[in-house]
Amino acid sequence: MTRGLSLVALLCLVSLLSLTLGEVRMPLADLWQGLTTGEGPGAMTLRVLRGPRLATALGTGAVLGLSGAVFQSLLRNPLAAPDVMGFTAGSGLAVVAALVLGLVLPMPLIAAAGGIAAALVVAVVSWRPGARDNSLTLILVGLGTGFTATGLATFLGLTLGDTMAAEARRWIAGSLAARTWSHAGQVWGIGLILALALALQVRALGLLELGPDLASGLGLRVARARNMLLATAVLLAAAGVAVAGPVPFVALMAGPLGIGLTMARRPGTRLLYAAGAGAAITAGADLLARAAVPGVQLPVGVMTGLLGAPYLLWLLSREFGKGEA
Amino acid sequence: MNDIPQGAGLRVEGLSLGYDARRVIEGLDLSLPAGCVTAILGPNGCGKSTLLHALARLRPPLAGRITLEGRALASFPPRALAQKLAILPQAPLAPPGIRVADLVRRGRAPWRGLLQPWSAADATACDAAIAAVGLGPQAGDPVDALSGGQRQRAWIALVLAQSTPFLLLDEPTTWLDLAHQIEILSLLRRLNRERGITVVSVLHDLNLAARYSDRLVLLGREGLIAEGSPEAVMTEANLARAFGLAARVLPDPVSGTPMVCPL
Repeated sequence: MTRGLSLVALLCLVSLLSLTLGEVRMPLADLWQGLTTGEGPGAMTLRVLRGPRLATALGTGAVLGLSGAVFQSLLRNPLAAPDVMGFTAGSGLAVVAALVLGLVLPMPLIAAAGGIAAALVVAVVSWRPGARDNSLTLILVGLGTGFTATGLATFLGLTLGDTMAAEARRWIAGSLAARTWSHAGQVWGIGLILALALALQVRALGLLELGPDLASGLGLRVARARNMLLATAVLLAAAGVAVAGPVPFVALMAGPLGIGLTMARRPGTRLLYAAGAGAAITAGADLLARAAVPGVQLPVGVMTGLLGAPYLLWLLSREFGKGEA
Repeated sequence: MNDIPQGAGLRVEGLSLGYDARRVIEGLDLSLPAGCVTAILGPNGCGKSTLLHALARLRPPLAGRITLEGRALASFPPRALAQKLAILPQAPLAPPGIRVADLVRRGRAPWRGLLQPWSAADATACDAAIAAVGLGPQAGDPVDALSGGQRQRAWIALVLAQSTPFLLLDEPTTWLDLAHQIEILSLLRRLNRERGITVVSVLHDLNLAARYSDRLVLLGREGLIAEGSPEAVMTEANLARAFGLAARVLPDPVSGTPMVCPL
């Protein structure tokens, strides 16, 4: 557990920097005054400007990190993640489609429907009668599904017109701009409920890691447990997309980063640290995106894309190197 | 071994296994009595592993039925079955970096309710299982760091922690050198003698199977060839039918059990 401290320290550092740095530098003394007295520029920063944005970033990163860690554990492949496999792109597409059609439904419901639809498409396209699950096939089919969803979302976004263009971009690339406490409350609320549901399935995940035959021999209803876990993971990712759009590569990177920092071995602690790592990546990437280049506010998705794409390439080269060996 | 009541073990009646297009096993009748060490033998592709999987309900029969202690295998709820019967598949997957003690803990799954915390009984069962396979000093080591024989013993500790009267193993000695094969087989026999655990394993080495088993089940491509004591099953005629192998069968100079010398 002591190793988890490095992750906690990283989270605190990223959070403090996120509150102090930006277009206008906000000294810690001002923040403290704002926190204690509720007045001054520090209070404005905490309550309206950077506070809700940071809280949304942390919540989004945590749910994406949890989702990625579940997929990686279930499919036994570090490439498995809801962003690589197109589920977050599916959620984003559903939101853009709802905007175009003028549907008025709660955002998490739309995102969840899109994520589940993308997951079903991946399952149907990669299904072969009698064949055993091949995780690489699932991942590659998911990659294609994701490109298709992103392409469709971009096309639909273009029909929205200039006033909605920025909003459409959020659901295609992922952005944390203009997030309020209601967004933060939404992702944390839904995230905590889903995390609780996941906590009840941690033991099942630990058995599935041993392979389906042994898990079944240990009394687990394997197919049901797998489907429940997959559904929970898809919904976790959708909860993140519903407030920040399909921020890429957070889910992919969070699990390995959390395990690398903490050397966690048990499924429960690994999930916990993946959530923490996802939160740190998202908040850190958002900080870089809005503060690294003066006067330029990049969407967070661009920054996680810049960070994550080289990692994905490295993973792919390693994966295929393994296949040839 | 003869005073075991009927239905005390695993019974197979009219069992057919495989896929609709290709039946691996057809109309098999078999009795695996409780309290014995039984080895299932036969050539590659005869359905040994398929049969073992069916006995553990990992694969549904196309026809026929299997009973465990007189009760239909199909009627057990999953956890109730897992409290009676454990199976160690041929190539179980070790999660990366897992330690021996953590691996063995997962064997307690059938005894733990959803929100039930780790109990003293769970801890006792795990400690006993690790001690029984002689891995006490390695309990804190990562499974990846163990030797082949130690790793197989760690997996056996997991199914022992499951505390079941029936233990099925799919080729537990494959990939191991001779010394480790003997180590595993004598461990299984000791568990049978000391704790009365019924052991059924799929094995490849005929001589070792004859030496360490109370009963043999010999399958051929056309079904059951023979079942019974090693002396009754391991005959030159049966080996010719099962494997198409011309061989002499001599008494093993060490144990006196049948020993196969291919011609």
